[in-house]
Amino acid sequence: MRLPLPSFVRTTTFRLAVVHAVTFLIFTFGLLIYLFYSTAGYMRSQSVKELDGEVQALAAAFNTGGMARLNQSVVERSSVPGPYFYVLQDADGQTISGDFPSIPDEVPNEESVETNFSYQTLNRNGEIEVRSANGIIIRLPNGAALMVAYDLGQRRQIVDRIIQTMWTALPIGLALSLIGGLIISRWAARRAEQLTRTTDGIISGDLSRRAPVIGSGDEFDRLSERLNAMLDKLEHLMMTTRHAGDAIAHDLRSPLTRLRNRLENDLRDGEKVDREESLERTIAEVDAVLATFNAILSLSRIQAGDAAKFKQVDISTLGEELAELYDPAAEDEGLSFDSEIEVGLTVDGDPSLLGQAMANLLDNAMKYTPKGGAMTLRVRTNSHAQAEISVTDTGPGIPEADRERAVKRFVRLEASRTQPGNGLGLAMVDAIARLHHGKFELCDGPGEPPATGLRAALLLPKAQE
Amino acid sequence: MNILAIEDDLEMASFVQRILSDEGHSVETVHDGDSGLALARSKEFDLLIVDRMLPRKDGLELVREFRESGGNAPTLFLSALSDVDHRVEGLKAGGDDYLTKPFAPSELLARVDALGRRGGTEAPITILKVGDLEMNLLARTVKRGEESIDLQPREFRLLEFLMRNAGQVVTRTMLLEKVWDYHFDPQTNVIDVHISRLRGKIDKDFDRPLLHTVRGAGYRLQA
Repeated sequence: MRLPLPSFVRTTTFRLAVVHAVTFLIFTFGLLIYLFYSTAGYMRSQSVKELDGEVQALAAAFNTGGMARLNQSVVERSSVPGPYFYVLQDADGQTISGDFPSIPDEVPNEESVETNFSYQTLNRNGEIEVRSANGIIIRLPNGAALMVAYDLGQRRQIVDRIIQTMWTALPIGLALSLIGGLIISRWAARRAEQLTRTTDGIISGDLSRRAPVIGSGDEFDRLSERLNAMLDKLEHLMMTTRHAGDAIAHDLRSPLTRLRNRLENDLRDGEKVDREESLERTIAEVDAVLATFNAILSLSRIQAGDAAKFKQVDISTLGEELAELYDPAAEDEGLSFDSEIEVGLTVDGDPSLLGQAMANLLDNAMKYTPKGGAMTLRVRTNSHAQAEISVTDTGPGIPEADRERAVKRFVRLEASRTQPGNGLGLAMVDAIARLHHGKFELCDGPGEPPATGLRAALLLPKAQE
Repeated sequence: MNILAIEDDLEMASFVQRILSDEGHSVETVHDGDSGLALARSKEFDLLIVDRMLPRKDGLELVREFRESGGNAPTLFLSALSDVDHRVEGLKAGGDDYLTKPFAPSELLARVDALGRRGGTEAPITILKVGDLEMNLLARTVKRGEESIDLQPREFRLLEFLMRNAGQVVTRTMLLEKVWDYHFDPQTNVIDVHISRLRGKIDKDFDRPLLHTVRGAGYRLQA
């Protein structure tokens, strides 16, 4: 049976801290071991070299000055405090001079031999301490023996110091790495916590919450930005839906109520009513309701649409064709209609929807521009290298304050209440622009205030070559 | 015409039957895909009207199988789905036209008439004639009586479509679909203006008008 882990163990914070600590420890430990071996090895080879040097020097003294000179050298060297020990014996095994009363090891018959021995000494605190030494014993040609040894104690001390340092460093390293790990992961956890709080807020209904972006450009910032963009879209959809609910209630319920009341009246009036006229009017009104309903449906479909079925659309040709389609109608309305179309402009999109968007803009311009006015269709590459489809007119325009509202579903500005239409035209253009990763803009037209006219522009990314 | 309507909504089926019978067509109706296909194969019909969504066999599948087994009666799809994609699917499956519900009776009649005519001989025609109006499809010239008429390319296509469906009502939507190849609705009646331009060219200087407006439905070119 597995015991459940405490919950903090499962947190990323804890895991990150542990990983960090372990990595740090392995590194520290490895570094110290390397330091230890390289130091100890160096010291060993160094002392062997020095030992050899001493032996060479003393052998030289013997060769030049015989035993007397050697003895003098040994006495001089013994009196200097240091890690070296010297003992000189004559051929009979009597100690002549040196640090020890006798050579602590057996003297060999051969020329030289290495020796390891231990000896007792008083340490600084006055206690007896056993220390070991390593040296060389040589038999001189006259039968005398000379030992030069090196106190291993000092080397051991350094090694001990290193080991001690290691034991001291380890817990400090462990503590430091844990703290470092915790700081790093706490920071990550805090960012994650902020995201959690944002989503919690949204789940509980506050759609205006946004994840904090601190501007560091790291992955948390990028995640937050994406999350925020998603929330913007979501909020927009929610708002649209909410607004559509009210709007449907208004735009569908009122004509249906009107229709119902009229039918009720006609029924009550009985014989007096022209039956055919009544039915014809009924059909016309129902048709209008159905048309509005269809428009709502296609708008929803566009808003929920996907760009997967997009293909390259030659909007220049589309523009030319629509200009040709609208030209006679505009002339009949007493409007002068021009088109300025750049050749060969393509975007990735749905040709029917783009056509619908252009048609809606042209319809609008025609509907609101009084006789004698002018409208222009332009298809061109704008200064931001976007494909721009715009329709300008010399009608009354839309006051700046109303522009944002004008592209909302069903919003029909006061000025247009008297005109036929279902209030979905510009909303549809806006939705089509969004579906094509573009923008829909309304701004002042070419005219002078108060009749500034209107310029409605669809800005779309150009097709990839 | 002998028409088979395959439609599972009984109300809609009887609506279609009524509209067509009133115009003198003989209409049989069935209400599911399987029996629709069986009937279409066992009898000769001049036209099939098929709902997209049917019980037991989908409308698309029905038409596909009907075509595979050699059936060549023209087919009109009826559907509540108005997306261009759906329309294209329908035409790919072997349908000849596509009509979105709800529709006006005049729209249905116009489309049925247009399809019924197409069911006839498909010999290549080079000259179209309606009364004294004559169109040469090779030379791309039009003349009425002895007078030659100068038309823009789009006006030529518009007139060609009207002449091919002479004597029958064509609706604005049909013109938009067949002449302009648009599957969306401009809200103002831009088509009417094109018709009146065309009328100005072919009818204005002549006593007897050929291009008639059919109130509440569309237009008809008739000698």
